[in-house]
Amino acid sequence: MHTNVKQFIKFCLFILIQTQVLDKIMIRWWTEPSGFPIFVPFLYPLFILLLPLSTPVWLLLFVGFTTGLSVDLFNNTAGMHAFACVLMAYLRTNVLNALLPKNLSEYGQQVPGVKVMGWMPFLTYSAFLLLILHLTFFTLEIWSFSNIGYLLLKVLASTITSMLLVVGYLLLFTNSSSIRNK
Amino acid sequence: MRNFILFIHRFFNLLLFIALEIVCILLIARTNTLQGIDILSSSNAIVGMVLQKRENVLYYFSLKQMNDSLLKENARLQLQLSENNYSFDELKDSTITQSIPPKDSTDKIRYAQYIYRTARVINNSIEATNNYITLNRGYNHGIQKNMAVISGTGVVGRVMYVSANYSSVLSILNVKQKVSAQLASGTIGSVMWEEGNPDVLIMEDIPQQVTVKIGDSVFTTSYSFFPPHVLIGKVFKKKIIKKNNLQYLYIRSATNFRNLQYAYVVENIKAAEKKTLEDSTTTQKTK
Repeated sequence: MHTNVKQFIKFCLFILIQTQVLDKIMIRWWTEPSGFPIFVPFLYPLFILLLPLSTPVWLLLFVGFTTGLSVDLFNNTAGMHAFACVLMAYLRTNVLNALLPKNLSEYGQQVPGVKVMGWMPFLTYSAFLLLILHLTFFTLEIWSFSNIGYLLLKVLASTITSMLLVVGYLLLFTNSSSIRNK
Repeated sequence: MRNFILFIHRFFNLLLFIALEIVCILLIARTNTLQGIDILSSSNAIVGMVLQKRENVLYYFSLKQMNDSLLKENARLQLQLSENNYSFDELKDSTITQSIPPKDSTDKIRYAQYIYRTARVINNSIEATNNYITLNRGYNHGIQKNMAVISGTGVVGRVMYVSANYSSVLSILNVKQKVSAQLASGTIGSVMWEEGNPDVLIMEDIPQQVTVKIGDSVFTTSYSFFPPHVLIGKVFKKKIIKKNNLQYLYIRSATNFRNLQYAYVVENIKAAEKKTLEDSTTTQKTK
């Protein structure tokens, strides 16, 4: 199947899983104290993280914008997810350049993953970008620093939960995808 | 000109990034006002359809719960009806009876008249700072902006965006607007939500001399867009602020937002008249 079609199907799946399944799962680490934030886990940024390594920046930006806006539509948060996603997509190339030994264009259609990058660099890459995304999104959503502890707690808890999902995704799909690429 | 094109070519990515972020900021700014845009909300046709599909699947799993809640609501309404009948009998027993001629129109002045429309909740959130609920009714079914939404047990929110078949409702779990509220004793204040806990609302700025007991009910008033005397919740904690002699009441919400399945959209027929009058007085004041 053509790569673009494949990516489009993947995009639809990520958006549907995020908006139809994960948005229904409200997580709270502790019920007491009662001020502890409730949040939903985000998996959709993984789509941007897993785009091919040689994707040009302008395409990344547009894909990020579309992904964010699609999630926004379902959550009535017009623009907030999109803002965070565009920022993440813009920073992606810089982070990858810093972590990878070769020039990005030399990798071709390979996707960032454990096979190409190794566990530690990939986890650093995804953790850093996810942290940026969550920080931007929750700052925009809460829109005040009057309760900064709550904001930071929500960002931290949400990022760690999303990272667990990313690791879960990697463990599930790493082997099969690398075989398919060969 | 050549330099300009070179400049654009060199910084194209950065410029595109800035442009997209500006678009996002504009979208956020427009939605953050109470009159947002309709097309980018969950009430639009495509998103509404997807949510409806999901709800159609999930509907069957919650039928039992829904039955129970409807039974409870029926029992509550029956109780209310029987209370009314009882007090009517008492009046009959009293010595003075004064009959009002039915033709006399002064015996019932209707300053508010309500139409209740049922709707199913097809999407719901409780974890965001401003939580929205999507209903499967739109302007084809007579829903308009700013109508009140209540559940079988208490208040839910206010209709924000309406499309042909769907509407999104800003639930009272938001930090944008407060709801006018009343204690059983008649003291009036406003209820707001502090994010983090979807069961707890806060009624603020009640003078300390007003005695409030734990377990007291809090109702809506006729000042707001809600119909009066709809239960908001019950007080479970008081906090006195020494600084200005006011107290905060923590209220356990009467509506369970975690498993909201159906709601009533309430239309006040006289609301437009009231609104026009109030608006005309405020414009006179400013002039």
